[in-house]
Amino acid sequence: MNYGALIFLAAFIGISASWFGFVLTPQIQIGRETQATNTVNTAELYPIARPGQANEGAEVYRANGCVYCHSQQIGQSGTEVNVVLSEIGTNPVAVVEALINAKVGVTNANATGLSAGLPKTILRNVSIGNAKKASKAVRDAGAESRVDVVPVGVDIERGWGKRHSVAQDYIYDHPVMLGSQRIGPDLANVGVRLPDAKWQLLHLYAPRTVVPESIMPSYKFLFEQRKINGQPSPDALPLEGDYAPPAGYEVVPRAEAKALVAYLLSLHAGAPLYEAPLSVASAPAATAATNSPAK
Amino acid sequence: MSSPANPTETTAADSRESQARGAAVPIWLIVFMFLILYWGALYFDSNGGWFSAKVYAPYHSVEEVQGLQPVSGGNEMFELGKAVYNRPTCAACHQASGKGTPGQFPPLTGSEWVNEEHPGRVIRIVLNGLQGPITVEGQTYNNAMVPWNSLSDEEIAAVITYVRQNKEWGNHASAVTPAQVKAVREKIKDHPLAFTAEELLKISPEE
Repeated sequence: MNYGALIFLAAFIGISASWFGFVLTPQIQIGRETQATNTVNTAELYPIARPGQANEGAEVYRANGCVYCHSQQIGQSGTEVNVVLSEIGTNPVAVVEALINAKVGVTNANATGLSAGLPKTILRNVSIGNAKKASKAVRDAGAESRVDVVPVGVDIERGWGKRHSVAQDYIYDHPVMLGSQRIGPDLANVGVRLPDAKWQLLHLYAPRTVVPESIMPSYKFLFEQRKINGQPSPDALPLEGDYAPPAGYEVVPRAEAKALVAYLLSLHAGAPLYEAPLSVASAPAATAATNSPAK
Repeated sequence: MSSPANPTETTAADSRESQARGAAVPIWLIVFMFLILYWGALYFDSNGGWFSAKVYAPYHSVEEVQGLQPVSGGNEMFELGKAVYNRPTCAACHQASGKGTPGQFPPLTGSEWVNEEHPGRVIRIVLNGLQGPITVEGQTYNNAMVPWNSLSDEEIAAVITYVRQNKEWGNHASAVTPAQVKAVREKIKDHPLAFTAEELLKISPEE
């Protein structure tokens, strides 16, 4: 029997359904994202378009294949909601009583010493409903508290970012260089983590001078070794030991290296957005680059 | 193609084939399929966020994301009060700035009526309105304020809290709770008319 037409129809429906689901629908939903306002500081637009030098740097990043070892996407496995008591007010007993009556996990047993050493996290990893209830109870009893929304996950523990990456983060990237390998650390938030341009240049020229365990290749060809004419250049890298150029010479970055560093410093992905809620006060402190596994 | 030598044999083969094709799908398989579909629908409903572009893993629904949004200043009553004030209810006369309209509607910024230690009089004014002359910050105003008793206790408490605690307006009075509004509403339920300033000054503000 001849099933040709039926097979064709089935394949056509199958392929077009997946095209609608995987291509068209996401395009309609997030294909036209525009600048949004930061949800905490509403006067702040996010993201900000890259300045020209950083845009050139994106091309250097692309040309040198940085994307093969570095990703630019932060994962998040959950969100913790904490209640932080910041001011106890005039009647600590009433505050503790209000918290116990609110039935949010504070009991007579663990309420002792609640008001010592403020600001203090009094409730950790509770539901948002309970957190708001506790916060209201505390306020009605005359004390002050705040509800912290803290994203958690291995990437965030490593200090690579503050929250999961969303489509909004990439609207000025052409092409988007998400990366899939993590031979090196994630760079989604490197402009905040390592904001020192001198450090970045030194790291590109000789990675192991600043990070001894680094396996990154040296990008010496983005720099120039030249004879010092009169005064040494203010751009010259402060190299020592084996890495130092011969006497009378200096190592200065070429335009590509400067552009690449401008691009790296433009990588910020930590603004609290509607789809990525986060309390700024609670964000983990920026730590140095690490590629070690999360604790 | 040659025609079959023995037509009866062909008929037998045909009937065997049609028998195989006509075998019924077992009923348990159909039930199982619908159970799987049902479970899938439930799973999608609780985890899929209904295809919203604003719901990313690890979140499951728009409500969950909405719940985690920061409340500016962390004071929900203040925020609710601000929304009520600018609905516009109060803002229509007293302006969004709280400064009122010179000669017509008194200011709320730094007003001694607003900043009284106990909110009894302010709650009465908001609930039943005000009629006749009133002196605010040395200026006499003679106008009428409409009653706002159609608002809930919560809304009235919030809007008075917003006005009394608005530091930008120079106000530093205590917050008002819905319970206080409810108590005053009970007390004045036999007083259907708008208050006058004179009448209010006779009432102890603590009541």
